[in-house]
Amino acid sequence: MIVADRKPIEEIIAEIKEHEKILILGCNECVTVCEAGGKKEVGVLASALRMYFLNQGRDVKLDEITLERQCDHEYLEEIRDVIDQYDAVVSLACGVGVQFMAEKYHTMPVYPGVNTCFLGVTEKRGLWTERCQACGQCILARTGGICPVSRCAKRILNGPCGGSTQGSCEINKEISCAWQLIIDRLKALDRLDDYEQIDPIKDWSTDRAGGPRKVEREDVQQ
Amino acid sequence: MNLKRKFDAGEFAVLAEMEPPKGVDVSTMLSNAMRVKGEVDAFVIPEMSNAVMRMSSLGGAMILQGKGMETVMQVNCRDRNRIALQADLLAANGCGITNVMAVAGEDPSFGDHYQARSVYDIDLLELLNAIRGLQDGKDMAGIELSGSPQFLVGSTVDAGAKGKSPELEIEEMTKKIEAGVQFFISPPLFDLSAIHPFMKRVDIQKTKIIPTVLLLKSLGMARYIMRNVDNVYITDSLIDRIQKSPDKVRECTQIASEMVTSLKKEGFSGVNLATLGWEHKLPEILERI
Ligand code: SF4
Ligand code: SF4
Repeated sequence: MIVADRKPIEEIIAEIKEHEKILILGCNECVTVCEAGGKKEVGVLASALRMYFLNQGRDVKLDEITLERQCDHEYLEEIRDVIDQYDAVVSLACGVGVQFMAEKYHTMPVYPGVNTCFLGVTEKRGLWTERCQACGQCILARTGGICPVSRCAKRILNGPCGGSTQGSCEINKEISCAWQLIIDRLKALDRLDDYEQIDPIKDWSTDRAGGPRKVEREDVQQ
Repeated sequence: MNLKRKFDAGEFAVLAEMEPPKGVDVSTMLSNAMRVKGEVDAFVIPEMSNAVMRMSSLGGAMILQGKGMETVMQVNCRDRNRIALQADLLAANGCGITNVMAVAGEDPSFGDHYQARSVYDIDLLELLNAIRGLQDGKDMAGIELSGSPQFLVGSTVDAGAKGKSPELEIEEMTKKIEAGVQFFISPPLFDLSAIHPFMKRVDIQKTKIIPTVLLLKSLGMARYIMRNVDNVYITDSLIDRIQKSPDKVRECTQIASEMVTSLKKEGFSGVNLATLGWEHKLPEILERI
């Protein structure tokens, strides 16, 4: 999923303080799971903002809506009838949702309410870690299902770099060396021979480094 | 420091691009440069233009400087992060390179290593600020340098470019001037009227604009540019002129020479001659100026 973290409230206030009718818009998908932008967090943010405006002696309209998703036309359309009641939206969706919202409601100011961080997993409640950088040409088959692109600090494809100690990455002891994990996993799969293979030089043109990307599928287009 | 002296004195400066080799055989580059050494104030060494991998600008510049020729080194943010960029700038100045030009650099997808990751750790304006910082004795981390480089700093401006708004270009240029740029090289110019809307808005006595004069190699190349190159304006009459000429190559060098002469007359600070691999034609262009 897309993992996001809460944005400091001061930052949000600094952006929206001139507005009078604000919609706080949550998303029921990834950001709900990572407890940054779901219905619950929409409520928490709205209460905090109400408190702020109250202290400022200002009467600001603050409504809460949480959509199923903000990255699909269908769900974003659900607010078409009410959007005119507001002069700003704080979207607690990931950066994708914020942008799609802005594209759809062209004259409505939209502010991000979270910091979108990475594609990752919930390791345990309150701990999310990165697993994928969406490089566009997955090599997990060769690396025992562990991604060196997102998990090796140096992003090396023929590791380890030589600096790993006791399973930790040389640049941060708190983080496991991705290549140690790859070797352990290949061992467990009895596929250590794969480790001997030199990985071909990666084509980064499908990565973000090659510019903004798109996936177009004629077979599913109507 | 010939270039800076010329600029300071308000004299017309002649720059010429000298592309380093794809490989280590520098003999052609050197002999081409040697032949026009006396007529050219500084050689501009492209930094892997069109994202085609070849000897770096720093390398090419050092080789020419070693033979007593002044150069303008190009730097861009495509292939190097802030650490490498600063390191190369120090290396350049340490080796006697005193002119540097910050350029945008084409995307790797245009070049021969389209699978490469581009870097863009910092952008062009940040790079210019970094150059200024180095000249003031500090690196981008704020750490004091032992001996600071001194550069004449240049960049590019899309003056006279087809489809560009002169207002926006001037805004862009002003930002660069504030970041320390002292001269600007503009895209190939074949018709002075293309640059007039831009020039009306700048004082060319104060802002050093150096248009590029590109040597056309054939009628086909002229036609190709006319149809496909976004920022360059070529007129039908120029195409006609080349078409009617019995010796097209000679006609093209003549066109380049005439363009240089008119730039000089118009009061520009100089010219940047681009010959794209035909550097051996430089003497012919220069002798008619
Ligand atoms: S190899 Fe690429 S697509 Fe596969 S997990 Fe890693 S970053 Fe994601
Ligand atoms: S120690 Fe491991 S994870 Fe860290 S940079 Fe080296 S190979 Fe990558």
